[in-house]
Amino acid sequence: MSIAVKDLCFSYGTTMVLQDIELNAAEGKFTVLLGKNGSGKSTLLKLMAGLLPCKSGNINIMGKDIGSLSISEKAKIIGYLPQFHTPAFPFTVEEVVLTGRASYVFALPGRKDIDKTDEAINKVGISHLRQRPYTELSGGERQLVMIARVLAQEPQVILLDEPLSHLDLSNQIRFLALIKELVMSGLTVVAVLHDPNIAFMYADDFILIKDGTIRNLHDDEQPWNASILIDLYGVHLETMPFRDRALVIPA
Amino acid sequence: MPISKRIYFYIIPVPLLIMSLFIGPSDVISSQDILAWMQKKIIQASSMDQDKFEMVEAIVFNVRLPRVLLAFLIGSALTVSGNSFQALFRNPLVSPDILGLSAGAAFGAALALVFYHLPLQVTAFVFGLLAVGLSYFLALTKRGVSTVSLILAGIIVSGIFTALLTVVQFLTDPFKLQTIVHWTMGNLHNASWSKVRSSALPILLGIIWLFIIRWRMNVIALGDEETRAVGLNPEKEKIMILFPATLVASASVAVAGVIGMVGLAFPHMVRMMTGPDNRKTQPVSIAFGGSFLLLVDDFSRTITSFEIPIGIFTTLIGGPFFVYLLKKSRMVFRES
Repeated sequence: MSIAVKDLCFSYGTTMVLQDIELNAAEGKFTVLLGKNGSGKSTLLKLMAGLLPCKSGNINIMGKDIGSLSISEKAKIIGYLPQFHTPAFPFTVEEVVLTGRASYVFALPGRKDIDKTDEAINKVGISHLRQRPYTELSGGERQLVMIARVLAQEPQVILLDEPLSHLDLSNQIRFLALIKELVMSGLTVVAVLHDPNIAFMYADDFILIKDGTIRNLHDDEQPWNASILIDLYGVHLETMPFRDRALVIPA
Repeated sequence: MPISKRIYFYIIPVPLLIMSLFIGPSDVISSQDILAWMQKKIIQASSMDQDKFEMVEAIVFNVRLPRVLLAFLIGSALTVSGNSFQALFRNPLVSPDILGLSAGAAFGAALALVFYHLPLQVTAFVFGLLAVGLSYFLALTKRGVSTVSLILAGIIVSGIFTALLTVVQFLTDPFKLQTIVHWTMGNLHNASWSKVRSSALPILLGIIWLFIIRWRMNVIALGDEETRAVGLNPEKEKIMILFPATLVASASVAVAGVIGMVGLAFPHMVRMMTGPDNRKTQPVSIAFGGSFLLLVDDFSRTITSFEIPIGIFTTLIGGPFFVYLLKKSRMVFRES
């Protein structure tokens, strides 16, 4: 298992956000967290990224207890894609991607860091944007730059928080194809997604979260069953078959 | 800008420093005298007679040279400091003046001028740091620090320390008062070797430090969460920028008073030439900031028969420049 979470509880002040979370994400798979707004998905992702302190329970990533790692050790294992906002300075794409190397650099990035940056830029397919100011790019292009920054970090696990939220359909498809490619090459990807249909089309595994707890599935249940999704999202839904899974539409 | 073009920035300071030694209000000595003095000083062989030599030495070596060096040092210090604060606060409109640092350090330095037992550099640094800290915490909300609130907080903090400075001036005796007033205007005309000595160490230390960590400023400039995600602790990195940036700016204020707008305008000019990558802006800030302030100082002591304090000069040029930036960027009104 690439990520193993046990007995995790988390609260902001006195508000319980997550309760008794227990989950596993398999290595080399694309796992999606599904749930309503405010169900605790993003908080769970931040906890897995080690960006929030884990007060009770434990989170193991690639066999290491995340609480025991330093910030820079975490960055070498986990690539987290935050909700990025526009920087105040017009750094070029290349300069932004290079910052992904921060945990390997003492004072100035060296030859190897620049090579890794080039590699990441090429892999994501944005070499034509290399010298453009990040601040002038469209939302879709920015998201690709940020994923290149995560790749330059050379993590083993990538955590994505709503990576599709500002992308149009064509950029969503490009982005998901890239994620698939990364998963094929052996990376573990865990993402929070709004749209269950996209998840059913692309993801390998699913984790359903309702009111801060995991909704476990019985043997005869599938995440794309109408009854499960109605319970999860609290609205009326119908399903229609899609390949060996199903897609949902409002009833 | 490729390295081949940037190389000019690193070469220009040398002829400029030498040229500046020839500029001054004195009619007693000519350029030939200065050249002869240099010849005698460096290769110890010249036909120059001893009296003349000593007179030139008194003017060029004891008056002009420390002034030229101090102008360069302070230009570099304020530009590097301004550039670093802009990266630290992710805000191209902040500077030591706008954050209240200059006013705080000026108040600290004035205290040290009145109470002889207070160490000048240390007092200026402590109050400079206090002022920046105050501005930051006044502007801090649950949602972070917005550009507008930081500038407003800086205005308030500046106001408070300027008022306290006035209280010091009010309570002090007339002789010291004149010194303080002259010095707060931002002045290089009473530069001396002792001022160079007292400020060179903190300024050079701070500049070297800020030079070494220059790439990390690129990371910090992208945001806190973005910094943490790639493996740096943003709080720790910010302190690592805050201390040396405050040190160099307050050391400048301690010896030369408030030379306004340099810390704001010069880093912008640098970025216009190099782009925002701090691997380039930091070394160019050192060379360009020093050269440009030296050039402004050369003007300020030749343009009129009486000497205009350089701080007035830079503020008069820098004020409109700030308004221009404000209009151009519209950054101020976007909450971050």
